[in-house]
Amino acid sequence: MPTVLRTAAAEARANQGAFWTQVAAMAINDIVWVIFWVLFFHRVGTLRGWDRSRVLLLFAVLTTGGGLVLGVTANARRIGQLITDGGIDAALALPVSPLPYLLARRVDAVNLGDFVFGLGLFALAGGPTPERTLVYVIGSLAAAVVLGSFLVIVGSLSFLAGRSEAGDLGFHAIILLSSYPVDIFGGVTKLVLYTAVPAAFVAAVPARLVNHFDPLLALALLTVAATFGMGAWTVFTLGLRRYTSSAIWTRA
Amino acid sequence: MREPWPLVALRSSAMRALRDPGPLAVSLGFYAIVATVLATLWRIAATAHGGAIVGYSSAQFVWYIYTSEAAVSALNPRQIELTGDDIASGAVAVELLRPASVVGMRIASELGRSLPRLFACIATGAVLATLSAGAAPRPAAALLAVPSLVLAVACNLAAQHAFAGAAFWIRDARSTWFLYQKLVFILGGMLMPLQVLPGWLHALAGALPFMAMAYAPARLASGHLDPQLLVVQLAWLAVLAGAAAAVFGAGERRLQVVGG
Amino acid sequence: MTIVVERLTKVFHGGPKRRRHEIVAVREVSLSVGAGERLAFIGPNGAGKSTSIKMLTGILIPTAGSAAVLGMTPWRGRRALTRRIGTLFGQRSQLWLELTPRETFRMLGAIHRLVPLELRHRVDELGALLAAADLFDVPVRSLSLGQRMRCELAACLLHRPDILFLDEPTIGLDLLAKARFRELLVRLNEERGTTIFLTSHDVADIEHVAQRAVVINHGSVIYDDAVATMRRRLLSTKLIDATLERAAEPPRLPGVTFAEVTDTTLQAAVDTSVTPIKAVLDALLIALPVADISVTDPPLEQVIAEIYAMPAQ
Repeated sequence: MPTVLRTAAAEARANQGAFWTQVAAMAINDIVWVIFWVLFFHRVGTLRGWDRSRVLLLFAVLTTGGGLVLGVTANARRIGQLITDGGIDAALALPVSPLPYLLARRVDAVNLGDFVFGLGLFALAGGPTPERTLVYVIGSLAAAVVLGSFLVIVGSLSFLAGRSEAGDLGFHAIILLSSYPVDIFGGVTKLVLYTAVPAAFVAAVPARLVNHFDPLLALALLTVAATFGMGAWTVFTLGLRRYTSSAIWTRA
Repeated sequence: MREPWPLVALRSSAMRALRDPGPLAVSLGFYAIVATVLATLWRIAATAHGGAIVGYSSAQFVWYIYTSEAAVSALNPRQIELTGDDIASGAVAVELLRPASVVGMRIASELGRSLPRLFACIATGAVLATLSAGAAPRPAAALLAVPSLVLAVACNLAAQHAFAGAAFWIRDARSTWFLYQKLVFILGGMLMPLQVLPGWLHALAGALPFMAMAYAPARLASGHLDPQLLVVQLAWLAVLAGAAAAVFGAGERRLQVVGG
Repeated sequence: MTIVVERLTKVFHGGPKRRRHEIVAVREVSLSVGAGERLAFIGPNGAGKSTSIKMLTGILIPTAGSAAVLGMTPWRGRRALTRRIGTLFGQRSQLWLELTPRETFRMLGAIHRLVPLELRHRVDELGALLAAADLFDVPVRSLSLGQRMRCELAACLLHRPDILFLDEPTIGLDLLAKARFRELLVRLNEERGTTIFLTSHDVADIEHVAQRAVVINHGSVIYDDAVATMRRRLLSTKLIDATLERAAEPPRLPGVTFAEVTDTTLQAAVDTSVTPIKAVLDALLIALPVADISVTDPPLEQVIAEIYAMPAQ
């Protein structure tokens, strides 16, 4: 797999068309969110235990983990499309396990910009002590596993549905929900964010661990990451049995 | 009797959008999720702070956000890119052959395409806001928000054409367009009422056209009966449409001189 | 036997939930292929060719039936099998568009566990065999389709496969590139003994590559015989299209039927088992004021119609 990833990185370098424009667009996007939260907490002060520094830390974790997933394993959000277009064929023709190959197959340099933004935000606003940095790094990696696995799972729904809209909706929903303090939600919504759509584990939980390390919560995060990781593997592998290699009539 | 062409363009685009309800449903779904999350944030923030922030109560925030999000969600989020790409690729040059204003035609048909989306968002938003915060704080003002939303979308489209016209001169103008959208988010009051901004920024935003694209209808829907907001919107629409026409006119002359 | 297929069947489920319907893409196909054979698996679009080849390479799982490729069941032992077979899809690139073929080869070499020295030897060897060495350092995006297909072929030969599966490899290629590609396949088979299993809907692919042809239509095998026999029985017809400078009466020749004759154009079907095509052309060129002339194979649909018209064996 490292060879695949290295080759994918070479391809990303070769394909730099509108690279800097896209990086600029991405940076503007991230900065606008930072501005929003600064303005919000300027008026609100604190909200259910959340203040400006805590939200910026959450945002740092989200952009780091999200940038990692969408940058290094860029195909994670395209699994559904690959399934409906017959894009798994190429992986199946090689003596490799298809899911890792597909994930390593595409590197998106623009989203790596998100990753760099996240690192910068943590350095500036995250109060980086050695302990906090360590938790932030491990937490962001776990967050990336949760996010990537979730994307693979919703994408794999295309094995059943033959269409990829559900995957798109899932992608936008989890990114949106992860970027808000999870405690503004109540009841059922909050429960969903800790389970089926694990937005809480993509940003809020790792951010909380950086501020208040709690071994039990850390264990929960790692368990969720492992569970979703295995879930993604299982769902994709089972779904592969129903793969139709884009035989046109499946959508007739 | 001959029908005026902008009306025909508007109507046929609206019909086309209605004929394929798939994308309409998807964008409606996104609108519902995005607006609900943001409205929830402001609602509990206001509740937690003695019931109001910068003069807006929880209920007023809810109605404000569902309206401001509707004003922006009615447009294809990539509309400005598409317009800019049409200019960059020379597709606009072909339209110059038509015996009608290129900008007028484009704005009219984009408005037509957006209206079904806008009214679907208004209906959904009204239901969700009522469920979350009760009836509109001041029904008369909320009714005025409907024409104000149409004006907001028209202003946004006109401004997008003026901005996208940069592509007549700049080779890769994409980041300009992206920046434009983000200005609507913050200075246009999509993410929050302009009163939330610090004093000087609030004053600046009030003097810029972005406030006509989200803030104006949302302010009305949140129960502030300020009919003069509609006048301000009309004035901005005239200015922005004029600017778009000027940019396209200049671009057109440039095309004739330099070639596409 | 290298490939043994028995009653292989694939059913797809399609349509929206309420009106679900089944499409039998491949219906009880049985066949066996010996080592070193060159087999053309042919049929019109949608006949089930691609679905069959995808089951034999482990990409799709069949609904019923069995298959053994090099002694393995493709969909169970896919990874072991892919080490010993090469797969080329005419419509899908194994090469990475933004990179040079050599860069993709390096990755495929690592996947196939070739040590760098061995890989370099192999790439040089294939460069010579496919006359493509000068293409290996050009980004794939800048290659013509014909050049790209030669590089694709190199990519699936890196690990010296025993069998080469090709799905519509000549689709979209121009005449010269097609001829060159066919020649390469024959050479590969004759020099290395690689078994060739190729699908196509182009009659010329059968004539110029295959020793044996299997025709599939609506998911079922309707014909399976040596190409030499097939040529005699079904492919003996050639079509001639000619434009004339002025009106003229065409000569009468045995085995030639004139389908359509106007003042300045004529179309004829030639039974080459009666009169060889060269003799017909010579006669026409002498007798008529020919401005333009072309010879083509009958379309596959016509061959299939003739198969159905054949008396049962």
